[in-house]
Amino acid sequence: MAAKRTAPPPANPNPNRRRVTSAADDSASAPPSKRMLAFHFLRALSRIHSSTPVPRRTRTIRRAAYSSMARAASPRSAWSRALLRQVRVRRAVRSRRAVLMRRRVSAAPAPPLGASRSSVSAGQTSVAPPVRTPPPRQEGEPARADALRQLIPGGNGMEYCSLLEETADYVRCLRAQVQLMQGLVDLFSGQ
Amino acid sequence: MSSRRSSRGNISEDEINELISKLQSLLPASSRRRGSGQASTTKLLKETCSYIKSLHREVDDLSDRLSDLMSTMDHNSPGAEIIRSILRS
Repeated sequence: MAAKRTAPPPANPNPNRRRVTSAADDSASAPPSKRMLAFHFLRALSRIHSSTPVPRRTRTIRRAAYSSMARAASPRSAWSRALLRQVRVRRAVRSRRAVLMRRRVSAAPAPPLGASRSSVSAGQTSVAPPVRTPPPRQEGEPARADALRQLIPGGNGMEYCSLLEETADYVRCLRAQVQLMQGLVDLFSGQ
Repeated sequence: MSSRRSSRGNISEDEINELISKLQSLLPASSRRRGSGQASTTKLLKETCSYIKSLHREVDDLSDRLSDLMSTMDHNSPGAEIIRSILRS
């Protein structure tokens, strides 16, 4: 599989796009494409702008940031798959809960607590889903690796070696996402 | 560096060290460690955890600022025009 190198686009209208600096990567873990990251995130942002009401926007934007990051990343990364799984599960839970809430509200006129309930699930954006498989313990794996497992989405089912690789990839993607968002904030606040 | 990995879990010490050093180079404070050679794995993992947490906090903070900015966004500004051109191409 050829390495996915990011070539700077020929006509770059966005002055805030930084060039990829990590040139020492080989085909094992390619850096995320900045253009794909920007595309997914901006598309999500424009959707949010037109549809979501203001009070819930921060949470929605944060979720969109992680989802677009996971989509732009190479599907070979386990963390991106786990993240997208989380998003799907949460969306299914939320829609089901919304249906239940509506039924309950129509049955008895109680003030719906659905908003605060769904905010609880939205709070754990980057925590891994409930552990189903016990974490495999390698020899020489430090105890600190458990904390890392909880931070990386899907980290609970990974071996130590893959955990390290996924961590590197996740850190790279996360950093690129932060740079992108920072660039957007600068762009919007500078006009 | 090849990502050769045996399926049985007999991962060599060298590969783990390679991965750890790669992780070390990603961290922002890595320039400090160059003098002390191989930093202890536990400390490195701890730094990685705190770095990831700080990145999460930055994402939260930036999305908060973005949501504030979006509500006051002027649709005909040059910034919005750039965004639209990116989405179109």
